[in-house]
Amino acid sequence: MAEEIKITESDVYAANIFLGAAVPLLRVICESEPKYGDKFKGKFFVFQMSALYDGVPGGKIATHFVVEDGKWTCKALEVHESPDVEFQFANLRKLNIFMSGKGMPLPRIKGASKLGLLISLLGALLRMAGLMQATTMPVSDADKKLLTKLYFYLLPNGISRLSKMGQPDVLKVTSVSPDRVYALVVNGDDELQSWVRMKEGQTSSGRGASKRGIPFLSMEFRDPASALGILMNIDNMMDSIETGKLLINGAPEFGDLVGDLMFKVAYYAQGEFLVKEKLL
Amino acid sequence: MAVEITAAESTKLATAEIFGRTIAELGEKDSRIVCLSPDLQSSTKMGDFFKKFPERFYNVGIAEQNMVGIAAGLARAGMVAFASCFSVFMSLRCLDQVHTDVCYQNVDVKLIATHGGTSYGPAGSTHHAIEDLGVIRTLVNMTLICPADGLETANAVKAAAATPGPFYIRINRGFDNTVYRNPDYGFQVGKAVTMAEGNDLTIIACGSCVYEAIQAASILKAEQGINARVLNMHTIKPIDTEAIHKAIDETHRIITVEDHTIIGGLGSAVAEVIADYGKAAAFLRLGIPDKWSPIGAPEDLRAYHKIDSAGIAASGSEILNKTVETGGGNGIDAGAITQSVLEVIKSALTVAKRTLKPGDKWDDEV
Repeated sequence: MAEEIKITESDVYAANIFLGAAVPLLRVICESEPKYGDKFKGKFFVFQMSALYDGVPGGKIATHFVVEDGKWTCKALEVHESPDVEFQFANLRKLNIFMSGKGMPLPRIKGASKLGLLISLLGALLRMAGLMQATTMPVSDADKKLLTKLYFYLLPNGISRLSKMGQPDVLKVTSVSPDRVYALVVNGDDELQSWVRMKEGQTSSGRGASKRGIPFLSMEFRDPASALGILMNIDNMMDSIETGKLLINGAPEFGDLVGDLMFKVAYYAQGEFLVKEKLL
Repeated sequence: MAVEITAAESTKLATAEIFGRTIAELGEKDSRIVCLSPDLQSSTKMGDFFKKFPERFYNVGIAEQNMVGIAAGLARAGMVAFASCFSVFMSLRCLDQVHTDVCYQNVDVKLIATHGGTSYGPAGSTHHAIEDLGVIRTLVNMTLICPADGLETANAVKAAAATPGPFYIRINRGFDNTVYRNPDYGFQVGKAVTMAEGNDLTIIACGSCVYEAIQAASILKAEQGINARVLNMHTIKPIDTEAIHKAIDETHRIITVEDHTIIGGLGSAVAEVIADYGKAAAFLRLGIPDKWSPIGAPEDLRAYHKIDSAGIAASGSEILNKTVETGGGNGIDAGAITQSVLEVIKSALTVAKRTLKPGDKWDDEV
């Protein structure tokens, strides 16, 4: 008899971050690195990552991609009824363990017969996982930039999704916030920008420069390495500010506020909750 | 019988005229009230009182110091003496009499100091009263009030008449921008009035700067989403320490605004409270720097000294970039939101969170 797993609120938060904010980064990998993206040229298919969960209508949450001749469209947290390839986990816990790198519970794979496609997808997924789970600074400038981009896209999106899910620590901040935009920026690189907007409990996030004018606070990093130094918890924030690696444009304690929210995303995305809450 | 000033009338009267009408009204109710003027009854608008009660009005001639001494003597004899002249002369030329005859004797003399700050800007530095709050604030027994507009002046004068001891009420020349439309907003000596709510920073202002601070808060909200609290600190002594403590705890950032030198006045009084409290706050004092002010129209001088709405708003942005060591606080006092409110929000979102659809206004880009 299969072991009964009690899905917790943390499982739900983490799964939504993975499917809503992390899995969509697969498109970024394929668009940024021809080595992976070119393999999907001339191919038309739907790829889906999903997990069964009886807490939602339909009993499943998923994110799927529509790939048309190498052009990726992401449908975050939308279920596709008949994907060509699907990695489906038996429950949210297994998805979370797999995505956080805390274990290797295997998903049910639909479309396993499309071996070439499957190998290409696995290659791109492993590339993403390798970058995201790294604990040391990447060596090449290209990898530093790509990882910075992944973090920049994941963190504001993750904050917004946690707020929408009602995560208490995040909601405590967003519910009392006036209409404000917080931005992450690497100076001189238009691609390395992202933002999260919050207003009285509502949130949104996006890439590039905010369209709502000057952010209330922006964390402006000198270069990708400076950004990763903070985001990977390698550098001390005060040292980064003193040495000019990081300029906080806005009230400094609101920088702390954004930092706390990012750590909350990391708490789920890095699987820390699985250990702390003894869910492994 | 005199009629109490209405809100509508107040917008058509100069602040000193409102004082004149108020003191005439009070004179009908209290026969102990006497008025004194150094031949300035026209400028200080005591004419109504003079017409109604000539036997209780004393024109001492151009001799301000004598006026204060005589007022103290009348008060010692049981009168409630209102003496009025320009602020710059009341606070500096008459200082010895105010110190010894009024404050040391602790008598019922109410000093109505007109033409405060730079409100008589075109008359030049000899008529700019930019040190009076600092000087008068140090005197024992003195209550110091700087009203925001005409209706508040009326309230302050009534409170002074009803409260034993020396008062110094500083009002402006000419018209003040209307801050209050209703006199019944709860004026109390020593209690600040919250004019705008906010938790990002607090602007503490007095006199004509209250109106400017309210406008600045609107600008900050509209243009930058900054929520500024505005306190009308009409009583500078005794100052409302409770309101300042609350501002420190809840906003961590304080700007003071006054038509006065930044030394010794409202800003200094607030700084003393902050220092005594022992908690950190980012702090800016706006006012006239330690220099003689240029000569000009009051509104132009306010803009020059950056104590107009635009200047205060710019300082609001600036102070948000100041570091505050709040002992672990994060600047947003989310803790002030009660758990029960959070639970309500959470319950509402629990329903919504399962059904969020892409394409919403508050969607996330992927």
